[in-house]
Amino acid sequence: MLGILLMGSAYAQERRISGRVTSAEDGAPIAGVSVIAVGTNIATQTDELGLFSISIPVSVNELEFRFIGYISKTVTIGSNTNINVALDLDASELQEVVVTAMGIERSARSLGYSVSEIGGDELTKARETNVVNSLAGKVAGVRVTSQSGTPGGSSKIVIRGVSSISSSGQPIFVIDGLPVDNGAPQISTVSSSVPQGSAGADFGNRAGDINPDDIESVTVLKGAAATALYGARAKDGAIIITTKKGSQGRGTVTINSSARFDNMLKVPEFQNEYAQGIQGVYNIANTNGWGPKISEVQDRTFPNFLGEQVTLQAYPNNYRDFYETGGTYINNIAFQGADDRGDYRLSYTNTEQSGIVPGSKFSRNNIGINAGRKIFDGLDVRGTVNYNRSTSDGRPVQSSNNPNVLQSLVLTLPRTVDIGLVRDNYVDPITGEQITLTPSRNGNNPYWIVNNNNFGNIVDRVYGNGIVTYKPLEWLTISNNFGTDFYYEKRLGTTRNGTIGDLTGSFFQGNIQNRVINNDFIITAETRLNDDLGLKVIAGHNIYENYYERILSNAEQLTIPGLYNFSNAASVLTTNTSNKRRLVGVYGDIGLSYRDFLFLNITGRNDWSSTLPISNRSYFYPSVSSSFVFSELLETSSWFNYGKLRLSWASVGSGTEPYSLAFVYNPQSAGFAQYGYGSQFPFNGALAFSAPGTIPNANLKPQNQTTYEVGADLAFFNNRVNLDVTYYYSNTIDQIVSLSIPQSTGFSFRSVNAGSVINKGFEAMLGIVPVRVNDFNWKVDFNFSSNRQSVELPDEIASYTVQSGWSGLQVKAETGKPFQIYGVGWERDPNGNIVIDEATGLRRTIADQPLGNVFPDWMLGINNSFSYKGLNLGFLVDIRQGGVLYSNTASTLRTSGLGYETLQNRGDRFIDRGVVLRDGEYVPNDVPVQSMQDFWGQMSTSNTEGNIFDASYVKLREIVLSYQLPSKWLQSGPNFIRGASIGVEGRNLWIIKDNVPHIDPEVNFFGPTSLGEGVEFNSVPSTRTIGFNLRVQL
Amino acid sequence: MKFKIKIIGLILTAAIAQSCEKYLDINENPNAAERVDPDLLFSFATTSYINLRSSGDLYIPLALAGQSISSGGNNPTGWGLVSEQQYDISPFSLGNAWSTYYVRGGNNLKQAIQIAENSEPVNSNAAAQSKVLLALIAYETATLYGDVPFTEAWNLDISYPKFDEQKTVLEGVIALCDNALGQFDEVSPLKISGAYDMFYGGDIARWKRLAKSIKFRTLMTMVDADPDKASQIAQIINEGGMVDSPEDNFLVPYETASGKRNPKYAINLQYNGGVNFFFGSSYVVDFMEAIDDPRLPKFFTKPEAADRYVGLVPGANGNNDEHVRISTELHAADAPEVVYNYQEQLFYEAEVYARGLGVAVDLIRANELFKSAIEESCVFYGVTRADAEAFVDRLPTYSNAADLIYQIHYHHWIDKMDRGIDAFTQWRRSGPEGEEVPNLTLPVLAPQGGLFRRYEYAPNELNNNPNAPSQIIRYFEKTWFDL
Repeated sequence: MLGILLMGSAYAQERRISGRVTSAEDGAPIAGVSVIAVGTNIATQTDELGLFSISIPVSVNELEFRFIGYISKTVTIGSNTNINVALDLDASELQEVVVTAMGIERSARSLGYSVSEIGGDELTKARETNVVNSLAGKVAGVRVTSQSGTPGGSSKIVIRGVSSISSSGQPIFVIDGLPVDNGAPQISTVSSSVPQGSAGADFGNRAGDINPDDIESVTVLKGAAATALYGARAKDGAIIITTKKGSQGRGTVTINSSARFDNMLKVPEFQNEYAQGIQGVYNIANTNGWGPKISEVQDRTFPNFLGEQVTLQAYPNNYRDFYETGGTYINNIAFQGADDRGDYRLSYTNTEQSGIVPGSKFSRNNIGINAGRKIFDGLDVRGTVNYNRSTSDGRPVQSSNNPNVLQSLVLTLPRTVDIGLVRDNYVDPITGEQITLTPSRNGNNPYWIVNNNNFGNIVDRVYGNGIVTYKPLEWLTISNNFGTDFYYEKRLGTTRNGTIGDLTGSFFQGNIQNRVINNDFIITAETRLNDDLGLKVIAGHNIYENYYERILSNAEQLTIPGLYNFSNAASVLTTNTSNKRRLVGVYGDIGLSYRDFLFLNITGRNDWSSTLPISNRSYFYPSVSSSFVFSELLETSSWFNYGKLRLSWASVGSGTEPYSLAFVYNPQSAGFAQYGYGSQFPFNGALAFSAPGTIPNANLKPQNQTTYEVGADLAFFNNRVNLDVTYYYSNTIDQIVSLSIPQSTGFSFRSVNAGSVINKGFEAMLGIVPVRVNDFNWKVDFNFSSNRQSVELPDEIASYTVQSGWSGLQVKAETGKPFQIYGVGWERDPNGNIVIDEATGLRRTIADQPLGNVFPDWMLGINNSFSYKGLNLGFLVDIRQGGVLYSNTASTLRTSGLGYETLQNRGDRFIDRGVVLRDGEYVPNDVPVQSMQDFWGQMSTSNTEGNIFDASYVKLREIVLSYQLPSKWLQSGPNFIRGASIGVEGRNLWIIKDNVPHIDPEVNFFGPTSLGEGVEFNSVPSTRTIGFNLRVQL
Repeated sequence: MKFKIKIIGLILTAAIAQSCEKYLDINENPNAAERVDPDLLFSFATTSYINLRSSGDLYIPLALAGQSISSGGNNPTGWGLVSEQQYDISPFSLGNAWSTYYVRGGNNLKQAIQIAENSEPVNSNAAAQSKVLLALIAYETATLYGDVPFTEAWNLDISYPKFDEQKTVLEGVIALCDNALGQFDEVSPLKISGAYDMFYGGDIARWKRLAKSIKFRTLMTMVDADPDKASQIAQIINEGGMVDSPEDNFLVPYETASGKRNPKYAINLQYNGGVNFFFGSSYVVDFMEAIDDPRLPKFFTKPEAADRYVGLVPGANGNNDEHVRISTELHAADAPEVVYNYQEQLFYEAEVYARGLGVAVDLIRANELFKSAIEESCVFYGVTRADAEAFVDRLPTYSNAADLIYQIHYHHWIDKMDRGIDAFTQWRRSGPEGEEVPNLTLPVLAPQGGLFRRYEYAPNELNNNPNAPSQIIRYFEKTWFDL
């Protein structure tokens, strides 16, 4: 009875307080804030939505809110049961902790290099299916380009410029200490005459498998000093992802649902006045716009593609109407909780996406578990397992030399073609044959392609790790992090019999598997040597192995149409390849701190790489960084709150690809022939081998990157103005390159250490809070970056081709210059005037001309965020200035007479601006072109300069509007709902300004594995996305 | 505590030591071989070489620029306008031809020769077979580009091979053939044989006859620029032992299976719905139509609406109801790529006697050889022997040497009509500038400047070899043998 009374007494004396903690700076919820009942040991933490709920004795009248990097706040409870708190940033930044290389947490003030951290919320506000895209515009010095608008398509990320002339320079992705694969392996499904790594469908990059809903934070390590402990793998930067863990307090269930709708961001501008034909005469055989003026032939009828006699009329939307409204549905549910002995989090996300191209679909399911447990005091274990499966269908084929290339078919639909008629008549119902748009049957009906031929893939991927941490002594920590990441991908591309260009049908199946194994063993000792001096020493050992295998089978001549079984093919060619690389490293880090305002870090790592010659396989690289919080030495000021100088220097080495050293003969699957029709082996019963195209180099040494960086972090006006500025310089020397050599030697390349790439740049991040009044906040963030790349080549090398294109287009490196597009250009007189051919009135051309830098001069992201109570509005404007883009779409629309610009001067006498060479002198041109069809014909694919444009743009990248439902509303409703928010989100909403006609200037046809940029070639149009989001916490 | 530190130290030391062990010795390529038989390199060189000759980097540009076929102008199913017929040659074609001659073809043959000659026992036949094919490649490279690297080419120790004069290279071709002839050993079982010798299946006797014929053809190409070669021609004619029957035709068949078809067929199928892109050149068709040549239906497909074979002026716009296109038979999936054949041998021999090259002019012999060549050509292209004989019987016997030489050259060119580079070279050697047979004029819309006479150098070589000519040599400039 006594017991019951006591319990009753205790119950009667408790009350439950709930509420939400946000940042005073931007109104964003803060997760993990400790909420402590003052005077007791009762405490809880806020969840992902910043929500908390705590039962406290009635005697407690104050709650204290504590979070690193913020000024703690104590609030009197009074009679309130709902308490919302806004925490101010701690201007002294004394406690802010940042995750750095190897998962080492450091106080931000101690870092001698620039680090950018993005909270998980930023990534899921306006969700991207590919997490790489979410970083666009948010981090200074980070540049993201999408390869296409393909659902599940790939994106390329470049940090502080490209530092290599032989590899694409993608940063390493590290999830909870495990380096994971971000490959985008290209398998040649069509002719080898097409640029490597470019042809065919965009199958995505593997970072796209990561579930954004599981991300707690992303740290971008940009400089070599920041990444030095990762060694060679991080020479192009590192993306450090920390996943969410269960937080203490009552277990919660979070549901996050988004529905989004996509349409084409930029629709090409067509003319709608002229029909198909030649020089003004109608001809059904031409899919173009050089026929008669529609309005002038209304008294006549002409055959359409079905053979019907019709009066011509324009269908202005036939291109737009081919594409559909895409849809994306992302649903996540996460269960999480923790107590003082352990934590868990289980998350499941389903993503279903349909693209704007009919029949294109992408589906992904992610499930992740992250759990940790304290075995006993000093010994902790943690395990993570992530499984995802993604499937896709209808990935459009891009580029050329493949009958399935879609975009060119849709672009060249004559203006008089009714897309509805094409949609309903792509196959003959009686014969089953394709109905083509021309009687000569020399092109495919786009609906035949999308309804019959399919390029898709399935990826099964598992990654995870186990971490054991043992702390035998207060100052000593020993941990081991073992992880693996493996995936299996099956790619299937089918072409049905009857497809023009592949009448007998074909298919390919590619099986790819990749495995990463990584182990880091780390010992950390941390102590204070005296009252002023702190010491932290880290020693580690790393083993890393990567294995890749690919089996590709091409089957041709199918007996039964639509049956994609190898036994159904007359010819099957299978090739396989594999490679394995290993890396062993030991590393150390010594950190000294003096009175918490002066810091020095020295790191060293020695790697042994399996890919280098035994004599050169060991290489060492050091780094030194220092930070000086000089504001600690100044008197307290009302306007200047914080100042830090940072300085770092690092030297990083890196190896090469496996099997680059020995002279070997390679088995050949086919003999080359232009336009993609070489002979496959066995040919006439014979197999074949070939000497290598590259003379290997048994004495390769590691290439080396030296970087220094200086910068400052400053805070003014009670932390309402924050400025981080950085200048960096990196020089990557002894580049391991396949140097182009005269082919008369019998070889095309020689593997050498030669050349260097210098990147120097300036980054600035400025955060301003112009308004902070009561519950209203307005914050503006500017992310500015400018990088200047410069290549140095040995004297005997005039230029180096980093990416070959077609018809003379190449991306090349040249001493003293950044990467530039080269190609066929207009011939010019000494004054820069275009030289006109006197015989034709057309421009004269000249091959191999530099036509502009592929990289921008500078990038600027401007993010505005407003918050008022639970209402948040943010929009991000992304600006790129400089660089050029080659557009094949512009070429197609101009040469075909379908672009709106081809209306100019049609039928009129037109004299192009320029000069003609007459009697040895250049005089103003007075020779008219014979027709505008001839004039625009100059802009063909083989003319690069005619299709080069300024790639600058201003884009409204993102708008997010969200509303956090007040707790009191929820309390009046079903009491199991603890928090809820609704939002409207938009991505890629508006190209405010650009200079490229017809297409989004941001498309980069060369994918993540290529060094090339600045080219669009029959790419799937990029999309605008608008969606809705609902987030509920139970 | 000390014990714990010792344990940690031990673990760390062991771990570091491990890094130096065999764990890292995994850099042996599982996908390639460090040693191969010469057969495997020979088959790749063969395939690369014939693919080049029959595809878009050599056949199309040279047949169009050489005007032995017509592009069709702006006909929607023609090859297009402006094209190689207007001498617009893609730098990729210039480069791909160069790289096939030097890298895919030449270097693999060089490697095969080295392997064959360094093996125990020496595989003399394999080395000799490779040398003959290398001679063919060097002949084409030099006749197409002019002065090219040869004496310093394919040498790992020489980074920047010098450019030899065309004459030097052609002398080198003859030397290679002589060297091979000295190496061939008909008794030895060691040779490239069976499927790996796609030409002769390892029949060394036929290889020896071919080697002599290649030497003979090279001399015939050189003799106008270097009349001293006439004596060598006389010597080889008198010795005999050259290609002497259709059995010796040096060709590689393609297969009907997808992926192994003749590129001429595959390109039409891939990009033109199976319709042949190319039209009959008026220079060819009109000449054949005038003599009612039985090869016409073998060479060309006549439009249903047309009542006779009408050729198309190169570069002009083709009319589907009027102009003939190249026949599906000639561009069949399994049509062979012909490098040298019997009728070609006969045409050269007829020319020797008609011109009296090192031998006395013998018009009777020349007429016989000329008619035999045409008859063999007809049969080769599918005309029955009886029809072929009837046709050549109808042809006049020429008593005037100049007339006969003209006819020999024209028919020789007609026979090679669909062998782009071979027709092109035959035309260039058929007479001094302005007197070539046939008397070509600029194709429609071709730029002024002159007829097409060579490939310009590959951009890759120009960019990377400081020994390459510094002045750009244009396509209309003649090479040494082309007077």
